[in-house]
Amino acid sequence: MAEGKEAEQVSTSDSDQADFIEPETPVEIKNSMLVTTDSYEHIDYQDLESPVYDSHPSGIIHAIVRSGSVEESTDTNDEELHTQCEESNEDASSNELSSKEISDVTEEVSKPEVPELNSAEFDEDDVQTPEWRNQKKHVFILSEAGKPVYSRHGTEDKLVTIMGVMQALVSFVHDNGKDALRCIIAGEHRFVFLVKDPLILVGVSRGQDSTQQVLLQLSYVYNQVLSVLTYSTLHRIFKQRRNYDLRRLLSGAEKFLDNLLNMFDSEPSFLLGAVECLPLDSVIRDMIAQSIVQHAKVKDLVFALILANNKLVTLVRMKKYYLHPMDLHLIINLVNASESFKAAESWTPICLPKFDSSGFLQAHISYLDESCQTCLLLLSVDRESFFTLSDCKNRIKDRLLKYNGLKAISDSLTRTSYSIQQCGISDLRHFLYKSRSTAQYTSPELEAPYLSQEEQERLFGLYHYLHHRIHTTARPLKILYSVGPHETLLGWITQGFELYAVFGPLVTKPAAIHAINRLLRWIKKEEDRLFILNSVTF
Amino acid sequence: METRKRAFLKVIILGDSGVGKTSLMNQYVNRRFSNEYKATIGADFLTRDVTVDNKLVTLQIWDTAGQERFASLGVAFYRGADCCVLVYDVTAPNTMDSLDAWRNEFLEQADPLHHDEFPFVVIGNKTDIQAKSEKNSVTQSWCSGKGNVSYFETSAKNGSRVEEAFQTVAQKALEQDTELTKEAYPSPIQLPQDNNKSHEGCSC
Ligand SMILES: Nc1nc2c(ncn2[C@@H]2O[C@H](COP(=O)(O)OP(=O)(O)O)[C@@H](O)[C@H]2O)c(=O)[nH]1
Ligand SMILES: [Mg+2]
Repeated sequence: MAEGKEAEQVSTSDSDQADFIEPETPVEIKNSMLVTTDSYEHIDYQDLESPVYDSHPSGIIHAIVRSGSVEESTDTNDEELHTQCEESNEDASSNELSSKEISDVTEEVSKPEVPELNSAEFDEDDVQTPEWRNQKKHVFILSEAGKPVYSRHGTEDKLVTIMGVMQALVSFVHDNGKDALRCIIAGEHRFVFLVKDPLILVGVSRGQDSTQQVLLQLSYVYNQVLSVLTYSTLHRIFKQRRNYDLRRLLSGAEKFLDNLLNMFDSEPSFLLGAVECLPLDSVIRDMIAQSIVQHAKVKDLVFALILANNKLVTLVRMKKYYLHPMDLHLIINLVNASESFKAAESWTPICLPKFDSSGFLQAHISYLDESCQTCLLLLSVDRESFFTLSDCKNRIKDRLLKYNGLKAISDSLTRTSYSIQQCGISDLRHFLYKSRSTAQYTSPELEAPYLSQEEQERLFGLYHYLHHRIHTTARPLKILYSVGPHETLLGWITQGFELYAVFGPLVTKPAAIHAINRLLRWIKKEEDRLFILNSVTF
Repeated sequence: METRKRAFLKVIILGDSGVGKTSLMNQYVNRRFSNEYKATIGADFLTRDVTVDNKLVTLQIWDTAGQERFASLGVAFYRGADCCVLVYDVTAPNTMDSLDAWRNEFLEQADPLHHDEFPFVVIGNKTDIQAKSEKNSVTQSWCSGKGNVSYFETSAKNGSRVEEAFQTVAQKALEQDTELTKEAYPSPIQLPQDNNKSHEGCSC
């Protein structure tokens, strides 16, 4: 990819720009499903570091639980919601530090054992191995006290020293003029810091990720932590105990962090802030959605969705509430990382930080088919509704069986996605198309030359580069045409969509422009199969 | 509840310049002593694994530059310490008089939840030069007046009582590393007589 970066930049002149005729909203949206058009554009990189959304838990869950009562709660405070969610533990005392008797020092000390010599040595073998050092991407989470919470590679035990240094650096910069350490570039490594009180997240990248892209990744990691703990709990813990070793509460959740980071390295959805829908005939998709609407009309059910192979089949939501793509990614990650859902119907708490970072939704999770490809999630604020939702699930399943909904899903899955040939455009090798208002994207299968792992990573790197050049440089671009030694890249951003296209290296600019105009027409023709265009509510 | 990971404990060493903080840490971690005096710049730390109550824990010991007081690393740095070691030099009585200031400054900056219960270990160092601190009784009574404070007299040079002192540090630090109260984490949903469920994502 490095070559691509150095490649010739062909500037687009005004006359060229005239070729890019912005189609009137290529994808027609009545009612966007994931998010409202006006409330969500795309990821704002300046915002990643701002604690705004999470310092004011929206208290939506609380509001839903309370709705029906006359008093609309506008400013829910954490305490209130907390009581709400955890009434059963109310009596536990909030403080368990007990004062210690000081006995005579000489007696207090038990006979120290003679330490073995090697225990005194720096036990850092892990960190010294070339494998560890050569990892493309490291992600560390530590508490503000500098205690290790998570490391993507190597065990945190061995990383005490590194974590200590990172905490000292953050603390040092912070205290010198209330500044914030954002990034250190050393050789080909980029160290990116995200301080989300009471945690410090550090990403170290050896690839071509930009600072903002690493920051985005760290934000996801932070949200994943919140998803397991909630913002309120996280803060309550560290208010109670600054020195707390958070690994205890996160034990068992490391696999979600690992999985999230792996997905981040291979799925464009995170970079784009969008989800991929399973291509389906719109009539069938409507039928699936209606099955849910009719058979899961249950009080307090906020979201119901079906996922198949990390793709969205349908989403039904309570009126007024939207599912943010970042939250949906956490749900996809939860399903993707867990084998146990395949064994049995599950009932698990999950916090969706963009929806409400202060509390848990309760998720009923089950697979609808024998082969465990089609996963139904029913997210409720009612912690007692397992059996009700289980009934709903059976009814939905029956109906989907009866009307061949499950078959349609599995047929679409076996066809995988679609081939670039289907678009009928020569020269075009691959593309990502994001419909901005629906926060959905579509992309063809990977084909030659992007079949090997290595080539796929390189292609992914190209997209990162293109995305970075367009969005996160000082001057955001609308169009970028970049000729590299192995391929030519074209990025185009409009009100309605973002398009990232990859051509062979020999394509000419007029041919590329011609090609993407044809591509846009093709997408327009296929849009009701590729995207979920109308929002379904209970 | 579950298999506990090895505890990781943060220890901070404070005291006037030249009392032997760096030497103590080196003696404890590396079993080495040097007569050479090199002022610590900013801060440095060493780690050592140690067994307390049959549990292996990792101590991360931060050594600081005394002369600059807290200016060097930033106050945020001291937060979340599990134990603080205050060192003075038994041959220089004025260094003992500073203990109060060091303790106060630590409490103010680190701001632990209960100031009176935060564990300190006071070390009178350099007993190889002068066997007994002339301030011994003064220090003893200072310590007992301060709550959770233990007192040791050591020599970083010949290693006398250094192990014992740090063993107590580890012990006290580990006592800080306690479980949270139940309320901090929501309990799993209990479904009556249902054998067909799992609690993914819940730590319990
Ligand atoms: N005789 C003797 N000298 C010591 C002892 N501990 C430290 N020193 C010496 O005192 C000086 C200051 O020690 P150092 O550890 O750098 O003090 P710090 O400024 O508190 O870190 C050095 O010259 C050390 O060699 C001790 O226990 N006995
Ligand atoms: Mg020193």
